[in-house]
Amino acid sequence: MSEIKNGGKPAPRRSASQWLFNPFRYVAGYEALLLGLGAILASAFIGYFGDAHFDGVLDVHIGLKAPLWVFVVECIIDWLSLAMPLYIFGLILSPSALRMIDVFGTQVLARWPYLITSFVMLPEANRRFSAYLMAGLTSSEGFGTLNYVGLCVFVLASFVAIAMIVWMVALMYRAYSVSCNIKGARAVITFIVSIVGAEVLSKSLILLLLR
Amino acid sequence: MKVLPTTCPACNSQLKAKSLVCQQCQTEIQGDYELPVLVKLSTEDQLFILDFIKSSGSLKEMARLMRLSYPTVRNRLDEIIERLKQAQNDEGNTEEKL
Repeated sequence: MSEIKNGGKPAPRRSASQWLFNPFRYVAGYEALLLGLGAILASAFIGYFGDAHFDGVLDVHIGLKAPLWVFVVECIIDWLSLAMPLYIFGLILSPSALRMIDVFGTQVLARWPYLITSFVMLPEANRRFSAYLMAGLTSSEGFGTLNYVGLCVFVLASFVAIAMIVWMVALMYRAYSVSCNIKGARAVITFIVSIVGAEVLSKSLILLLLR
Repeated sequence: MKVLPTTCPACNSQLKAKSLVCQQCQTEIQGDYELPVLVKLSTEDQLFILDFIKSSGSLKEMARLMRLSYPTVRNRLDEIIERLKQAQNDEGNTEEKL
């Protein structure tokens, strides 16, 4: 059956834009799960060195030093908090017989832009400026002398982190739409509801974990 | 090869076959023949169905050979099923009108 080529057409070309914004056209199931788990574990490992906590489905903050397992569990909570409600919505609304492995696999792979974020959060100057901001906001003495290099690194890191969040949300939506075969307004509304609920759930679980 | 028209360009109703010709001896048979529902799908969809049958109905195998993910292939099949149902409904509605 080697003659099968996409319904009579040549096999699809895998363009860079499709890999960037809809890799789930080509990758799903166990393959996506393994790649995605590798990416979030690497994010947790690098985040550990930069004290970058992924403490919510869409959150990344420079925080306190913690054992490596805390960073790993944070990443896993973030992933499952969103994948669960999306899977439930898929079971209710999808016209197709969806597979759990596709929903969970594609959702974990959609988190891979945070691997880039974890690298961006590594520079010491970024952590120093975060500490300077926190001290300025919480102490009665106010802000000390401004370090311009630190400010530049912080602004750049924040810009990249925001871009990665936007990209990740776009990937999460595509993953949901492809794996559950839900499109249009129903997909958008259920995705927004899931992401808001997942943000609350993940924050609560991570707070419980750190208590 | 020309694509077989299945709807009337003037009123958009379903077309039927009126005559069939033997290319060997030119015998022509006249009648009122219903087009099979599969013919009403696009060529791409028909080729997909052929490939699906040749893969023994395995979406996993289709996904592997088409180099697409399983849910992408499954979604495409579901879209074709919807179009088939629509074509059958249209056929039923036309018969009712007549």
